[in-house]
Amino acid sequence: MFGLIGHLTSLEHAKSVAHKLGYPEYAEQGLDFWCSAPPQVVDHFKVVSATGQTIEGKYVESCFLPEMLANRRIKAATRKILNAMAHAQKEGINITALGGFSSIIFENFKLEQIKRVRNLDLDFSKFTTGNTHTAYVICKQVEDAAPGLGIDLTEATVAVCGATGDIGSAVCRWLTGRTGVKDLLLVARNQERLENLQAELKFGRVQTLDEALPQADVVVWVASMPKGVEVNLETLKQPCLMVDGGYPKNMDATFSYPGITVLKGGIVEHMLDIDWHIMNIVNMDVPGRQLFACFAESMLLEFEKLHTNFSWGRNQITLEKMDLIGEASRRHGFKPLLT
Amino acid sequence: MQTLEVSPVMDFQSETYKDAYSRINAIVIEGELEANNNYKQLSEHLSDFKDDLLKLARMENRHMKGFQACSRNLSVTPDMPFARDFFAQLHDNFQTALAEGKMVTCLLIQSLIIETFAISAYNIYIPVADDFARKITEGVVKDEYMHLNFGEEWLKANFEASKAELETANRANLPLVWKMLNQVEDDAAVLGMEKDALVEDFMITYGEALSNIGFSARDVMRLSAQGLASA
Repeated sequence: MFGLIGHLTSLEHAKSVAHKLGYPEYAEQGLDFWCSAPPQVVDHFKVVSATGQTIEGKYVESCFLPEMLANRRIKAATRKILNAMAHAQKEGINITALGGFSSIIFENFKLEQIKRVRNLDLDFSKFTTGNTHTAYVICKQVEDAAPGLGIDLTEATVAVCGATGDIGSAVCRWLTGRTGVKDLLLVARNQERLENLQAELKFGRVQTLDEALPQADVVVWVASMPKGVEVNLETLKQPCLMVDGGYPKNMDATFSYPGITVLKGGIVEHMLDIDWHIMNIVNMDVPGRQLFACFAESMLLEFEKLHTNFSWGRNQITLEKMDLIGEASRRHGFKPLLT
Repeated sequence: MQTLEVSPVMDFQSETYKDAYSRINAIVIEGELEANNNYKQLSEHLSDFKDDLLKLARMENRHMKGFQACSRNLSVTPDMPFARDFFAQLHDNFQTALAEGKMVTCLLIQSLIIETFAISAYNIYIPVADDFARKITEGVVKDEYMHLNFGEEWLKANFEASKAELETANRANLPLVWKMLNQVEDDAAVLGMEKDALVEDFMITYGEALSNIGFSARDVMRLSAQGLASA
């Protein structure tokens, strides 16, 4: 059994989903209620691999909402993640992916210090951030989509926004080691981390967002964009490929402009239908087949019987691990989303 | 990104703290006393489980003494009249059900609601408790987890026959819990216990119990949130 811990994108979204699923007790409630709401298993389904192997999974809704961070309900936010993890473990799930903000909250608030949740000791080896697979998929999206837009990577400048994060740094490693991109622009808020990353890569240049965007043929977004970032679309290159690795995926509106192609980053498509309803709820275009790569990682680890925290901690993603998860991804029938 | 605030430093000897503590501690003592009496009374009706129930009653009595020691340690006099009043409605509902021979309702009130209410409060209290009370409370929680399932096991074994009565009893009694939590929200906050954490812990443990008894995930969501909206 594998598991997915997810959450909805906003209070409004949560209300409408609760309404749609027929939970009136939840549908009319404000943020206070969601701060008190317990985690729930809201979906139980089977996934069939290209090899014919079948596994079972459960989706745990943590009831976390991004508004909790915005309103400084930090304790509530951290409780949501820990309680969802405890719930998954109690359900007997072998390996569970921390989707959306879950892994970010876990890391930022150092939740590894809190091992005890009520009468349960959390076993962190049963969880994965899914970041290795997400990073791999984003890299493949860059490699596979760029040529179709007339962008030759060996002649291209690629900007990575959020370069020092777990996914961002892995993407930079791959782009440096495996793709032969001409230039790599490293964009992030923390200068010290940026310099360390550049020293590790021995490649790329540290830049601000404003400096980097007009030079980039490809932009990989793996940072949460501060609200209200204004981009002058006329200054961007044409063609330009934007890979939107954030959650929720909302960049197509920001970058709706001739010559700019926005790809939903870190999304995979499975070759066989999955009989679940949860991807409907997060507004996937093809909900029976498309899913977040981090979720797919827990499926892959279950298929491969790798019941271990494959992606864990910050900046631990190596090219070898990306190769391993990438190979498993192909074998079991997942493809990076290219449209 | 914001940082997680560490628990505020408590002044356990301040008048504000001791004043709030006199009510919260009294509730805890009264809760254990209720449990002690309820189990003793249940043992008269569920004769097959008489020994088990009397053992539970004795344990609740030990817990009560532990919590009495906690207030003595802080030189606080627990406000018992407040606490009796606090539990009055649940107490009356239990006694009425007992008189009518409604064991399912009695078990829901004692084994599910009162036990879960206590465990949630203890869980949230432990990180902000004084050293003396923390040790006592940790010991109590350990005991409580060991026996939480008496009512659960009984209701599970009699699930089909109990289902309708459980729904009715839940509808009548769970809203009282939200009312009770609202009533002590400010006092609990003085002790460093946040209401949303208490409600959440309650809903998780209560929901797990309902699920173990045999309710579906959908029923659990509905039943464990009953009355919360209008609280």
